[in-house]
Amino acid sequence: MKRILVLAALAAACAQPPKKDYSKLISSNPRAILVVPVVNKSVDVDAADYFLSTLSVPLAERGYYVFPVNLVKRMLEDEGMADASLVHGSDPTRLCTLFGADAVLYVTIEQWTARYMILSTQVTVEFDYVLKDGRTGEELWKDHQTGVYASQSGGQGLAGAIAAAIVAKAAPNYMPMAREANARALAYPGPGFPAGPYRPEYRKDLPPPAAPESPAAAKPAAPRAPGAPQAPAAPQ
Amino acid sequence: MRALHTLGAVAVLAGLGPFGCAQNTMYRWGGYDEALYDHYKNPQKRDEYVAKLSGIIQAAEEHGGLVPPGCYAEYGWALYEEGRIADAVVYFEKESKRWPESRTLMEKLIRNAARAKAPAAAPAAVPASTVEEAKK
Repeated sequence: MKRILVLAALAAACAQPPKKDYSKLISSNPRAILVVPVVNKSVDVDAADYFLSTLSVPLAERGYYVFPVNLVKRMLEDEGMADASLVHGSDPTRLCTLFGADAVLYVTIEQWTARYMILSTQVTVEFDYVLKDGRTGEELWKDHQTGVYASQSGGQGLAGAIAAAIVAKAAPNYMPMAREANARALAYPGPGFPAGPYRPEYRKDLPPPAAPESPAAAKPAAPRAPGAPQAPAAPQ
Repeated sequence: MRALHTLGAVAVLAGLGPFGCAQNTMYRWGGYDEALYDHYKNPQKRDEYVAKLSGIIQAAEEHGGLVPPGCYAEYGWALYEEGRIADAVVYFEKESKRWPESRTLMEKLIRNAARAKAPAAAPAAVPASTVEEAKK
């Protein structure tokens, strides 16, 4: 495994990201983010759960409270929403009331594929991220990430190269690409979120306000206090 | 070939990302994401996953208490699934206390736990495996 050389073509990392409009995210000012199960458009049936496991760490490290993803998944299954696309299609304000969240993060796997060539394996991942407001259901933020990852033999001649390709074929490892894509999507400044309430630079790292495009876009929202009473939870 | 090597090294370093090193993070994750990944990959090794969650909490509490958000709740849920209702409630309460944002959900889980506890006199006496099998 050590001899597999990793070549990453981080196309998205090199391109200058377009300027994002953060006004809605800033005025919504969420503290607690609900990460719902991932919709999987790839042919790899396990990809959704695997990818779900990579989201809590980078999000929480941005300073937000992140609901326990496995617990949320199991609870939704108990509520009859085992199908992630059903969850993604349901009303975000209802989801947020159910869990007491301020915003919902929806992630879709567009691609999670391995192309096996004779001497290497090329793994491609592509993800869509959308954050929606828990009170209005409005889209607050979105991002899209693509990563290509090729494993190749390093200096072991043909036999080594074939051995490396076989190893990669047996178990292509998508996880480094998944983590990398998350890190890029959430990096700030960049495409990601400004610091959440648990980071020291919270509310100090905001971009200068852009001129509002319409009066509606500049509508401020009341800041959320920690532990403020949420909508009453309906007994199940 | 040398150029390839250099590129490879850079990519490997980049792959580690900001979370490859414990000092750079706000919380003591202790391999939380790997534990969950392994759990999804090998659901039959559930005991390992639960033990890892417990280990993460213990280690974080011993080192200044930077238990990551969701960890207490996730562990509590695992205990709840095993029928260890009273133990589960302890961790739901810890999550609620440590992270006020979780209060709505934790209170709901604690209420559910109280209901689960009420009908049977001693749910904790039910072996974990029986509860797991009953769910299947």
